[in-house]
Amino acid sequence: MSSISNSLYNIEHLDDLARKETFVHKLHPLVKLIVTLAFLTMVASFGRYEIERLLPLFLYPVIIITLAELPIAPIFKRLLIVEPFIIGIGILNPFFEKKTFVLAGLTLSTGWITFLSIFIKSGLTVASVLLLVATTGMDRLAAALRMLRIPRLFVLQLLLTYRYISVLMEEAERMLRAYALRSPLQKGIHISDWGSFAGQLVLRTFDRAQRVYRAMCVRGFTGEYNTGEHIKFKMADILYLVGWLLFFVVTRMYNIPMLIGTLFTGVIK
Amino acid sequence: MSHHKLEVKNLSFTYPDGHKAINEMSFIIHHGESVGIVGENGAGKSTLLLLLMGVLFPSQGEVMVGDVHVTKKTLPLIRQRLGMVFQDPDDQLFMTTVYDDVAFGPRNYRLDEKEVENRVMQSLDMVGISHLKDRAPYKLSGGEKRAAAIATVLSMQPDVLIMDEPTSSLDPKSRRRVMELLKGFEHTKIITSHDLDMVFEICKRTIVIKAGKIAADGLTSEILADEELMDACGLEVPLALQSCPVCGSKKKNI
Ligand SMILES: Nc1ncnc2c1ncn2[C@@H]1O[C@H](COP(=O)(O)OP(=O)(O)O)[C@@H](O)[C@H]1O
Ligand SMILES: [Mg+2]
Repeated sequence: MSSISNSLYNIEHLDDLARKETFVHKLHPLVKLIVTLAFLTMVASFGRYEIERLLPLFLYPVIIITLAELPIAPIFKRLLIVEPFIIGIGILNPFFEKKTFVLAGLTLSTGWITFLSIFIKSGLTVASVLLLVATTGMDRLAAALRMLRIPRLFVLQLLLTYRYISVLMEEAERMLRAYALRSPLQKGIHISDWGSFAGQLVLRTFDRAQRVYRAMCVRGFTGEYNTGEHIKFKMADILYLVGWLLFFVVTRMYNIPMLIGTLFTGVIK
Repeated sequence: MSHHKLEVKNLSFTYPDGHKAINEMSFIIHHGESVGIVGENGAGKSTLLLLLMGVLFPSQGEVMVGDVHVTKKTLPLIRQRLGMVFQDPDDQLFMTTVYDDVAFGPRNYRLDEKEVENRVMQSLDMVGISHLKDRAPYKLSGGEKRAAAIATVLSMQPDVLIMDEPTSSLDPKSRRRVMELLKGFEHTKIITSHDLDMVFEICKRTIVIKAGKIAADGLTSEILADEELMDACGLEVPLALQSCPVCGSKKKNI
């Protein structure tokens, strides 16, 4: 019931993490954005049966988490929030795909492979984006997007959405609390109250969002978001960028796991 | 200084749903005045402030800041002169640190980052929360949030400070602190509230609003002591002006 108030949903927590001052945090936001985009492209570029080729990519989140001294639990918890949706998307694959393969004497649908590959890919994708936010922060990320000449309207949309998600959560939390206190005998929201609950939530959030926006306008906000920082590219930024890009190119061109040993590849064709 | 006066002429405003929240109001506020705007819930206080700030535009009449009409075109100018603190600090604070929040306004005016820093530190100093500059606003206490919200407006160095119920939902100590803070400012002040004791202490002049109309406008000491008027407008004579409930001694002499 109170899971929304749980820090797990508390998105601002990622911004707290972004205020650390490690090597990764100090890198230029644009560099981190480009590396993340390259990583996403890499993950997407492998075919649905090429699970083993994805394995070296796990190095990326592991290295970032280590270098940025991020706690694993909050990142991992947020990953878990998305996984049910992913499972929902991929779970039917094993039943729909007609082809089979043999593993340890069992004949299985190749759907299991595609399911696993969706699972891994989405995990990697979401993790890399979470890590980007947790090492950069939303404000600087927006600045990086602007440097890429993404239209200001889109960047603004992103920032405000991010800001309003927490507004929505807060409103939902207040309503849930009020509801729970007056219906002590039941768990969750009774199905007959869902409609009015959702409707109320939308109206309240809208109201609140409007007040926040007004308060911004009154302080001279015209749509351009200034973080006040003029970060310069440093040697470390270039090395970081080149290093990762090189790693991605190598994992793309060579089948590293196969080179390391045929143990894995022998099992999964 | 005539360019500092704030003039409301024959102002009316109707919400899109047809509710007439402001009905033909007129008044002038001069430089350096501190004015309390009082009235019961729903009287139209917040709506009036939004009209002054150019967040809403009147259906009839006009607002003038100095010699400038409040219109879409003049908004940047107007908003540099008038700073508004909203009723709920949570609506005002949205950046990831207090510092960034206070810097938000000055940065919007493209000030040099050195100047921004000066202003931020100065504003935080004025409200006494310099030590909180790197904290996340949503983690502050109610009183600290209010102070931070005030600082976000001070950093824009406005001539006129406009505040919507600055002492609502504060505990007595925080309320006292905010009041002392407000007393210390030399800005022109426009403060809405139903905290009449606060208005009594801070504002020399009071405008009473009832159902979107001005019911009275004059010296605070006279208006707030007028039991009949207060009662008719859904308000109460401030405690400071009531006779002592324990010993029954007479009202404080004004
Ligand atoms: N967005 C809105 N749409 C329609 N009516 C509104 C809106 N906001 C406020 N009102 C109405 O306008 C009147 C004045 O509201 P407000 O200025 O908030 O009063 P106060 O601040 O004095 O309590 C109230 O009757 C209120 O219900
Ligand atoms: Mg109000």
